[in-house]
Amino acid sequence: MESTSSLPWIIPVSSIIALGFAYFFFKKMMKNSEGTDRMKEIAQYVREGAMAYLKRQYKVVGIVFAILFIIFVILAIMGVQNPFVPIAFLTGGFFSGLSGFLGMKTATYASARTAHGASQSLNKGLQVAFRSGAVMGFVVVGFGLLDIALWYWSLNYIYDNNIFGLGLKVAHELGLTGSDAIWSLDYITNANWIHTKMVHITTTMLTFGMGASTQALFARVGGGIYTKAADVGADLVGKVEAGIPEDDPRNPATIADNVGDNVGDVAGMGADLYESYCGSILATAALGAAIAMHDGQFNDKFILAPMVVAAIGIIASIIGVFMVRTKDDATAKSLLNSLLVGTAGSSILILIAIVGMAYLGWFGWGIVGSVVSGLAAGIIIGQGTEYYTSDGYKPTRGIAEQALQGPATTIIDGMAVGMYSTWIPIVTIVAGIIASFGFAGGFTDFAHGVYGIGFAAVGMLSTLGITLATDAFGPIADNAGGNAEMAELPKEVRERTDALDMLGNTTAATGKGFAIGSAALTAMALMVAYLEEVRLWLAKVPELGADFIDKTGISSLANADIYNFVDYYNLNVFNPILLAGLFLGSMMSFVFVAMTMKAVGRAAGAMVEEVRRQFREIPGILTGTATPEYAKCVEISTIGAQREMLFPSLLAILVPIVVGLIFGVAGVIGLLMGGLVTGFSLAVMLNNAGGAWDNAKKYIEKGNFGGKGSDAHKAGVVGDTVGDPFKDTSGPSLNILIKLMTMVSVVMSGVTVVYSLM
Amino acid sequence: MKRYLYLSLLPEGLIASMLPPNEFGNYLSVGTKKRTRGQAMFLEVDMESVKDILPMDYIEEKCVMQEGNIPKNSVYLSIYRVLETIPLKALLKLYLVTDDGRVMELEKQEYKGNLNKELHLYQELCPITPRVASTLAPKEFSLLMTDGTEKVSVPRIVFTELQLGDLSKDPTAAKIDNLPYPNVQHLRDGLLILKENNDKNKKTIIRTFTKDLLYRTIKNGIFVGDKDDMIYYPFPSIEELESKYYAWWRSANIMGF
Repeated sequence: MESTSSLPWIIPVSSIIALGFAYFFFKKMMKNSEGTDRMKEIAQYVREGAMAYLKRQYKVVGIVFAILFIIFVILAIMGVQNPFVPIAFLTGGFFSGLSGFLGMKTATYASARTAHGASQSLNKGLQVAFRSGAVMGFVVVGFGLLDIALWYWSLNYIYDNNIFGLGLKVAHELGLTGSDAIWSLDYITNANWIHTKMVHITTTMLTFGMGASTQALFARVGGGIYTKAADVGADLVGKVEAGIPEDDPRNPATIADNVGDNVGDVAGMGADLYESYCGSILATAALGAAIAMHDGQFNDKFILAPMVVAAIGIIASIIGVFMVRTKDDATAKSLLNSLLVGTAGSSILILIAIVGMAYLGWFGWGIVGSVVSGLAAGIIIGQGTEYYTSDGYKPTRGIAEQALQGPATTIIDGMAVGMYSTWIPIVTIVAGIIASFGFAGGFTDFAHGVYGIGFAAVGMLSTLGITLATDAFGPIADNAGGNAEMAELPKEVRERTDALDMLGNTTAATGKGFAIGSAALTAMALMVAYLEEVRLWLAKVPELGADFIDKTGISSLANADIYNFVDYYNLNVFNPILLAGLFLGSMMSFVFVAMTMKAVGRAAGAMVEEVRRQFREIPGILTGTATPEYAKCVEISTIGAQREMLFPSLLAILVPIVVGLIFGVAGVIGLLMGGLVTGFSLAVMLNNAGGAWDNAKKYIEKGNFGGKGSDAHKAGVVGDTVGDPFKDTSGPSLNILIKLMTMVSVVMSGVTVVYSLM
Repeated sequence: MKRYLYLSLLPEGLIASMLPPNEFGNYLSVGTKKRTRGQAMFLEVDMESVKDILPMDYIEEKCVMQEGNIPKNSVYLSIYRVLETIPLKALLKLYLVTDDGRVMELEKQEYKGNLNKELHLYQELCPITPRVASTLAPKEFSLLMTDGTEKVSVPRIVFTELQLGDLSKDPTAAKIDNLPYPNVQHLRDGLLILKENNDKNKKTIIRTFTKDLLYRTIKNGIFVGDKDDMIYYPFPSIEELESKYYAWWRSANIMGF
């Protein structure tokens, strides 16, 4: 085995450092004052509402996890499930939930402090909001990498010491044990044994991604439904019917609306990116394990490289966070520049590190090209998103102009812009896939090419610590603005929190590009990793393995390449079973979107009724002599979100299992491909249409086509309301749907291989 | 407890109340089940100046503390031809109320506006509500509408001048930008007729304006005039609105949804 030097220790060390810095930033944020009593009171309402939501969410998710845990245990006992999966599934879900919880706790403590900081200077407000966002960023990457490191070293220890007889099982699988079947320490120096062990370990680790994906889907769907139900309640009754501005303490739904920003944009986004971050590293490591054997030598650098890059990314992110500095009299433009210095600086650092690793022989120079392709794709997708959704460009202004004709043309043009906008991300991701595949040598060796695709995703997400800080910074600044409005802080403070909010919106566009791009690349890598799982199960079921070897004519399962799987399972589009899966995967995206949208409608309906009830039964609300029942609105939204999130989320888990049982591996591959291709396009369309409608309305409000209160504005408000569940519920959830279906397929591959009808 | 006298402009009415102006505005807009939400605009009237024409006994009998020591909200004294009855000198401050009950008070001042011939857009508020484009300055317009030379006139009028932006210079091609007016093409046509025809000094744009007045469209202020005099309530600048009257301005800005 080739030596890996002591560099891999950077993996757990970096994760601890990330968590240490998260704690440091949290403590530093907490030292700031929350401002006036009114500001504290508002922040407390939001905090209590957010925690009440999370408590209930984790209770429901806990029950689902408990049921799935029992199912996995039963399947493991039946021999069609990896025995580590139940625990791995739980840890993935636990750390993902913990990241969301800590990120949201920080955000809810930070909003009033940011508003108070903004009362001193724009820079002070930025520092509080950005460093609080960094808590989320470093908690996500810290726990993500720590979970990976713990599993990696624990499983290595278990296999190397033959705990549970696993080391011997590997030896037996390879035929090393002969008839005596006794454990020998000689095995752990045998390259074939190490290789097989690593394949087992990396594919086992891959399954903890399902826990993270499940948690992420619940967080995104639940958070998305919550935030839109509250938003629609606050807007439709508070603003339209009662004429009260959005962030007005007389509006009963205003606290729920602020809570919604946290549960949707902070906890939901944190869980989402935790899942993407871990998924990309784990999928690439699993693909690395498959290609780590060369000329009888095992090279574990292929497995460790994505983890090491992620670890270096943490250090680069920390340096990047400290690069974000401005003067006290900074303008909004200079603030944006300083944020860009931080994010671009850490990206340059990670590129230098990757070049250094290539120079040291950790991987070929082709991988550098793959990573550069991924980073370029992320930037281009971000810029494309900016072009189609910003009011500085033609598409969004065109929607605003169509608003002059009324709501119908606003909707038509918004849909058209959303659909048009798919071309940049799709062409970019196609180019990114081909380039990262090609640079890594995919045209001569498929497995290396797919490894390059996975690595491109790892490179994009390696600086997640700082990019997530800039993402989480947005909702914190938004909430700070709400706090400043409700506490009636002076004009200059509101102007500063508005400037911070706008800054957050700008940086979020690039963040979105990386999130979407990496999701597509990761899903692609996961699909190939799925076949690695299938290979393992074929090895575990002798008659199936023998049939595979017999029909493909290869010497052993370990030598099977992608083309052998394509032949054996007939993985081509002319196979009606694969085609059936394609259709089903495509349908899943639409049905899931429909379910989440209808869920928003129902949950919002309950909220609308509640706000109307309060205005009816508590007459002093509007005159300001009575306080609305904020907690009741928070509760209504929470209950609605929990009830409504369950069915679409469970569907995402059940469909891949059912398709696997009926149509087998070909059907599953079709399902995943259909889900990826349609889901990715649909997600881009929904996100961009929603964003464009939102900004078209804002463009009118800035004093175009009649401005506020004009007929065009009314049409713009209709477009924005339609677009809200597009961009905040259904669109963001689709990315996770794609990956969760893949993860479920990976975890349930044993059941598919053994019990499928076709 | 002190009693107040208010002249409501939307709709026209003379009301005695025990509520001070801010609370009265709040009551008019959101504090009654009869009208749960709605824009209001009223003038405070100096009771001393008009006590000879008021049914003071009736006011003293009806406008009294209610059960539970609650002040009387409103005693309606008249709902017809009120504006023309109250002399201009009796009018005190003007109060503009948003449809969620925020109240802003305006002090009267002498109007020193430009008298050059240019295009104006007036929204009449009381007792009639057409929207009229005109080449006349506010003082001339007030006079024209009240001095009886026109076949259709009123004894006294409350109106405001609305923003026209670049439309006042180029009615045909200027962008409407921040002007939320319905049927903009008709407005352009009306302005063009006035611009090209020296014999015509006013053109009706909307016969009866039934929607809420969007406060943000007020150009300079609100005028109350008759054939003898005109009083003027200047509207604060955007800077003042954003700093001094922010809560009111924020509510005013979401009106019209």
